[in-house]
Amino acid sequence: MMTLHGVDVYIRHPEIPDIPKEHGTFALIFISMRGTRVTLPLPPGTELVDWLQCRYFSETEVTDQQVDELVSTLTGLGWQWTKCQKLFMIDGVNAFSQPY
Amino acid sequence: MAHKVCLIRGDGTGPEIVSAVETIFNAAKVNIDWIEVEAGLKCVEAGKPIVPDETIAKIREIGVGLKAPMTTPIGKGSVSPNVTLRKKLELYACVRPVRSLPGVPTPFTNLDIVIFRENTEDPYAQIEYMSTEHVAQSVKIISDSGCERIIRAAFEYARKNGRKKVVGVHKANIMKIADGLFLKVFNQVRLEYPEIESWDNIVDNQCMQLVTKWNLYDVLVTLNLYGDIVSDLAAGMMGGLGVAPGANFGRECALFEAVHGSAPKYTGMNKVNPTALLLSGTLMLDHLGEHDARKNIEGALEATLRKGVKTYDLGGTATTSGFAEAVASELKG
Repeated sequence: MMTLHGVDVYIRHPEIPDIPKEHGTFALIFISMRGTRVTLPLPPGTELVDWLQCRYFSETEVTDQQVDELVSTLTGLGWQWTKCQKLFMIDGVNAFSQPY
Repeated sequence: MAHKVCLIRGDGTGPEIVSAVETIFNAAKVNIDWIEVEAGLKCVEAGKPIVPDETIAKIREIGVGLKAPMTTPIGKGSVSPNVTLRKKLELYACVRPVRSLPGVPTPFTNLDIVIFRENTEDPYAQIEYMSTEHVAQSVKIISDSGCERIIRAAFEYARKNGRKKVVGVHKANIMKIADGLFLKVFNQVRLEYPEIESWDNIVDNQCMQLVTKWNLYDVLVTLNLYGDIVSDLAAGMMGGLGVAPGANFGRECALFEAVHGSAPKYTGMNKVNPTALLLSGTLMLDHLGEHDARKNIEGALEATLRKGVKTYDLGGTATTSGFAEAVASELKG
């Protein structure tokens, strides 16, 4: 069975975005670039691209409406997102990859 | 003064080929202060990450590393130590030189090509989703800055090393936006190097041309997934993974590695060929400015191969340590 647990919001921003760490049942669990986690301070030699994958995840199942509300909140705060990808579990197993 | 170099002894047969390289470097009187750092299965067995943060920090601090092959554990949640190192250290340029070696006969005579593979983007970003229970998707990320740094690295290498031609390899006829961005950047950067002949090729055609007209090619630069495949094809043309060296460069550090796996089934048998790691080590010596040492060691290696001293993968009977001693003898003699 496929259940909804979160969303990857791809934000267009030249730096690591200072976005809400949580929203309702969602927690921001990482921000990544090219599939690699990025945190401040950035290691020397890191070259950021302006497209950051921001994962909001809930241990419990969520609804489409909760995802909509989260994304609307980010939009309302002025964050430009270019893509959102819902995160599903299939029979209790993550149906999405993890960053390095 | 000794050069400080981080050393990862690796898993499986890794420690055996590292010992072989040490034997040869000692015979060549190369002054290296090896700083051993942990990574691989031993870390996992000790309950640590496969590449601990301390290892990443140390390589970043020292700036240079030599890495023997490591094993990616099989199972849920396991990650490749090699990919982890490349990603965490942002080693964006994978450089794979392939050239004919004496005593290693192949149909590809006078082979001499250097492949630059982008190392951080493309499907290798490993961002994947099940969008429904029946449909999977993998995100292919290509950035203009990611393209520019690898393409520029290839042209700069060509300029510094007297190479005459650089070919950009892509699939922009199909992936018109992602690979199209690579091609657009390639066509911009190439204008800055008018003394170097350059053009682009579609990756499938490039593979065919590599095995039919290999002497036409000098330096290739390509995206991550194509580079993965083309560089192994080229390694086969050189004589196999046992002789194919590799290097990974970032803005801050460089990591040199044999491109083959850890061959766990041969662990402790003193059997595998140390040439790939040795040639990775000589690439490292070049990077450190030890050009004479590189030349001497590669000369000794070629003399050894010419005499027919070879490990099993090349049809010989030499052991790992025996082969290393033979190369070392050439250096002492």
